Amino acid sequence: MSRKKNYAMVIDTRACVGCSACVYACKSENSVPEGFCRDWIEQKIQGSFPNLTMELRSNRCQHCEDAPCVTYCPTGSSHYAGDGTVQIDRDLCTGCKACLAACPYDARYIHPIGYADKCSFCQHRLKKGLQPACVTTCPTDALHLVDLNSNDGIFENLLEDRKTTQDIVHAGTGPKLFWLQ
Amino acid sequence: MTEFITNKVNPAVLPHLEIWGSDVAIYLFLGGLSGGLLVISAAMVLLQNGGIFNKNRPRENYSGMVQVASLLAPVLLGIGMLFLFLDLEFKLHVWRFYTNFNITSPMSWGSWLLILFFPFSALQALVVFKNYYQRAPKFQQLAAVMESQLDKIAFINVHVGLAIGVYTGILLSTFYARPLWSSPALGFLFLFSGLSSAAALLLLFAPREEKTFFSKMDMYLIALEGFAATLFILGGMTGIETAKEAMLLLLVGPYAPWFWVLFVLGGLIVPLLLETFEAIGKIKFTPLVPLLILVGGLSLRFIIVFAGQSVPTFS
Repeated sequence: MSRKKNYAMVIDTRACVGCSACVYACKSENSVPEGFCRDWIEQKIQGSFPNLTMELRSNRCQHCEDAPCVTYCPTGSSHYAGDGTVQIDRDLCTGCKACLAACPYDARYIHPIGYADKCSFCQHRLKKGLQPACVTTCPTDALHLVDLNSNDGIFENLLEDRKTTQDIVHAGTGPKLFWLQ
Repeated sequence: MTEFITNKVNPAVLPHLEIWGSDVAIYLFLGGLSGGLLVISAAMVLLQNGGIFNKNRPRENYSGMVQVASLLAPVLLGIGMLFLFLDLEFKLHVWRFYTNFNITSPMSWGSWLLILFFPFSALQALVVFKNYYQRAPKFQQLAAVMESQLDKIAFINVHVGLAIGVYTGILLSTFYARPLWSSPALGFLFLFSGLSSAAALLLLFAPREEKTFFSKMDMYLIALEGFAATLFILGGMTGIETAKEAMLLLLVGPYAPWFWVLFVLGGLIVPLLLETFEAIGKIKFTPLVPLLILVGGLSLRFIIVFAGQSVPTFS
């Protein structure tokens, strides 16, 4: 029996070493033009020497459940793909940039050709049963693509005994990136 | 201390949002202005003798100002839409606005409203210039047929004009990721600014005996605009942290000189005072007043568009 997918991503900030392999895997897999990126690394250092903490994490589109980019897209180009991801139909995109203004996570950019672009969770790979390029490449297995509708227990196992954070949940968009602290 | 480093490079969102420039600001101004012109001209058509409220009297001749406003409304909106088109990153796909209607997207509402604006405002312009078609009898016939339906056309136009005026503000205010824009007062602020700009433009062109009418109309509209601006400022200052920070950037930050001098002082207070003196006959009518208002309206769009993008994203 097939069940509707609801993809999300779990990112282990302790495993991440900030090597940017995910960024370059994405650039290569999705032909992201120079000077743009669909995913990126964030490094946050807090405290004062010698009491310093550093958090490293890979970041990208949150594939929100109630995505403002979809709400405000005038042409229906930004849409829910039905597998829990938010996708862009390039044929419909006018480059009006409403989605860039709408995104509280600033996850989008304008491709030099003119359409809005962002992380797609490598939908073309998902369709073939493959993992996203960043997940496959990550040398420390910090990235995990999970299916929230599945009962395989992977998501629950990852979150077990770990503190989990999400970015600006109070924006009310239902983000689907989970960071393990 | 917190240090934040990222290798995110996307220029449209970093170091701050930078997606809309002068094109959009000019479009928002021209959109509001032509919406206002359509509202005022259609309302004058409805209220004149022979209009929907005075059916028992024969229809008056259309005044020069009704003609000017009816003609300028679609022309200025057309110029505005040209600026909007220039802003599109994927210009070949512009027709995609019209293969879809997304009820939750103000931009979708706007693009359909723009389409509704042209035929009805053009029909109104056709009728109010009916005395100019002596050499084109077909045209004259069409104008006569349309004149019998003018009240309906003008009724639609009042609402389409108001909707365009409100939509230019709502367009920005729905982006709650941008703290300065995400204010419900912005729709009213842009609507009243557009209406008062339209009244000011007509005041500029009006013959001496009609100046008092448009000057008084503009007085009331500026007062309403000032009220909306006050609500806009209060909404930001009493809002959450990011909204307050954004509003402070506008009130005391780098955009403050423009906001206070060009918009508040030059676009609201000084013209309101001068118009009051004009209305009670203390001073003569001066083209300075409408020019100040038009500059104020245009700078309001520039200030809101640019300041709204320079504030940090909602967090």
